Amino acid sequence: MKLAYYPGCVAQESGKELDLATRWVCRKLSIELVDFPNFSCCGSGFIDEANPTLNTAINARNLAIAEKAGLEILTVCSTCQGMLTLANVRLKDPAVRAKVDGALAPIGYQYRGTTGVTHLLKILVERVGPKALEAQVVRPLKGLKVGAFYGCHLLRPQNEVGSESAEEPHQFEDLIAALGAEPVLYRGRVMCCGFPALFVKEASANRIAAHQIDDARAHGAHAIATPCPLCHISLDTFQPKAAKEVGHALDLPILHLPQLVGLALGAGPAELGLPRHMVDPGPALARIGAVAVPT
Amino acid sequence: MAATAPATQRAELDVYRFDPEKESAPRYQSYQLDLAPHTPVLTALLRIRTELDPTLTLRYSCRSAICGSCAMVINSKSRLACQTPVGPELARHGKIVIDPMRNQPVLRDLVVEMSPFWGRYRKLEPHLIPDPEHPMPEGVATSMTPVQLERFKETPRCIACGACYSACPMVEADPAFPGPMALAKLYRFVVDPRDGATKRRLTSVQPGGLWLCLRCHLCTEACPKDVRPSERIMDLKEMALAAQGGTENGSRHALGFKENIRERGVLNEFKLVRQTYGLGEMLAQVPYGLKVYRKKPETLRSPKPIEGRDEVEKIYEALDDTEGA
Repeated sequence: MKLAYYPGCVAQESGKELDLATRWVCRKLSIELVDFPNFSCCGSGFIDEANPTLNTAINARNLAIAEKAGLEILTVCSTCQGMLTLANVRLKDPAVRAKVDGALAPIGYQYRGTTGVTHLLKILVERVGPKALEAQVVRPLKGLKVGAFYGCHLLRPQNEVGSESAEEPHQFEDLIAALGAEPVLYRGRVMCCGFPALFVKEASANRIAAHQIDDARAHGAHAIATPCPLCHISLDTFQPKAAKEVGHALDLPILHLPQLVGLALGAGPAELGLPRHMVDPGPALARIGAVAVPT
Repeated sequence: MAATAPATQRAELDVYRFDPEKESAPRYQSYQLDLAPHTPVLTALLRIRTELDPTLTLRYSCRSAICGSCAMVINSKSRLACQTPVGPELARHGKIVIDPMRNQPVLRDLVVEMSPFWGRYRKLEPHLIPDPEHPMPEGVATSMTPVQLERFKETPRCIACGACYSACPMVEADPAFPGPMALAKLYRFVVDPRDGATKRRLTSVQPGGLWLCLRCHLCTEACPKDVRPSERIMDLKEMALAAQGGTENGSRHALGFKENIRERGVLNEFKLVRQTYGLGEMLAQVPYGLKVYRKKPETLRSPKPIEGRDEVEKIYEALDDTEGA
C-alpha cells in the first residue's frame, strides 16, 4: 500500500509524537508513505470561518498535488480529514468549482476531482483489517480499557464527511479490540473536545474537555485514544488546566491512535514520543507491561 | 386487500422519572410493551401512560413533527419522540432509554423548564426590525426575488423544539453562548431583505457569543427539521467578519489563522497565539506555556515554509484580497 502522507501542521510541530508513531506503525505494516513538502495546511476550520472559498481552494491544491502523483491521501487528523473531504464535496458545486479552477489555473494546477482522502483509522480497519492487525500484535493490550474519542470532523456533518454512522460509529472500537484492549463505550466518544474554543474562551473549552474525560473515567477507561491531534491538545496538553478549572483531578492518559497501535505492535514508549505528553501515560503503560510498574 | 398487522416485539423502555418537589434524586423506571417496529417512541410513551402508569409526565401535542413539543433524549441522542421509530433503537441498543432534554432543569419526568432556552433566544431580538429609512408599504405584500428567498436556506423550517440546545456542548459549558437555534434564527433575520438592523445584529453577536460555536455539528445532527444550525453559524461568522473584522478572540483567531497560513503555508503555532490574544491574555499564558515548551520545544519555533508557498500566496491574491476579507 502506497499513500500520499498528509501529516497536517500539528503533527509536524507540537504534536510531533503523532508523526513519529504514524511512521513507526506504517513501516511495521508495510504501508509506504510518500511525503509531499509542498502540502499546505488544511485551514483547520478557521480559514473556513473567514473565507470558505479560499479554504476550498487551498485544499483543492493539496488534492491536485496527490492526484498528479496518482495517490490517495492518508490523514492522521480528524480535522484535516474533514476539511479535505469537505473540499471534495464542495467542488461538486459548479459555482465553487469555477472560482477554484480560476485560482488554480494561473499557478499551473488543475484538479479533476479524483483524489480519495482516508484517515489512518479507516486504513487500519478496512484495508489492513482487524484480523491481519491482530496477527501482528506482539504485546496484546490485555487488561487495558480504552475509550475511543473520534473527533467531530471524522464524523460530522455525516452526509458530507462521515464514512460511518456519526451516532454509533464502531471502527475505532473494532481497532481497540483487535489490539487486545477493551473498548469502553461512553457518550463522550462522539462529542466535541472543546478545541475550537480554546483560543476563544479557554475556561469553557477546558470544561468541555474535562466533561468528556470524566465521562470516559466514569465508564472505567484507563486511557483515551484519539485519531485527532487537535483533540489531543485539548484533552492532553490542556488537561492539567482543565483539572484546575473543574476543581478535581482528571489524570487520564490520552494516546494518539498510532501510539496505541504501536504499543501493541511492540514499539517502545520513546519511539512513539510518549514522553512528550503533558499527562503521564505511565499508569496505562504499566498495565500492559510497556514500562515498569511504578512503585 | 386486507392489511396484515406487522409482527410486534417485546420492548423494554427505561424512562427517567423525577419529581423534584417530592423526590431527592431521579430514577429510571422500566416498562415492557409489545410494539411494532414502526411505532414512534411517543406512541409507546402514551401507551405506557394509558395502559400502565398514568403518572408518567411528558410534553407533546401534534404527534407529527410540527409542534416541536416532544423533544427528549432517546438512547442518548436529542430528538423528537414522535419522529423516532422504536425498531431501529431496539435493534441497535436492545432497549430504549429515555431521558429529558439536557441543559435545562427538569420540572417533572420528561418535562423540562425551557425558559433559559427562550431567554437566550429573545436576547437576539428574533423579530423583524424594519428599516426606518425604507419603511415597508402598509397593506401591500412585500415580494422577494427567488435569489433573496434562497438565502434563508433551511432556517424557516425551525420548530423551536430545543433538540439542538439539548445536544450542544457549549450551551452546557457557557451561559454566554446563545445556542444553535437562537443563532440560526438570527441568521434568518440577517439575510431578510426587509430587516433594517443587519449591521447592528452582526456587530452585537460577535461579543454576544457567536465565536463560542465549536463547529462540532452536533446541533445539525440533532435537528429534526434539517435546519443545519452549525452551517448557518458558519455563515454568520463569515458575515460578521466581513462587516466588522476581528473584534473578539474568536474572530481575531479566524483572521489570524488565515493570515498565518498565508505566510508559510503551514501553521506557526506561537505566532497564532500572538495574533489572537491581547497582551494581558498573552502574558497569562506564559507560565503554563513554559511547562508545555519543556515537553514540546516546537511550540516556540517558526516552522519551515512549505515548498510552493508562493502558490498559496497567489491563491490568496485571487480569492481573498478580492472578496472583501
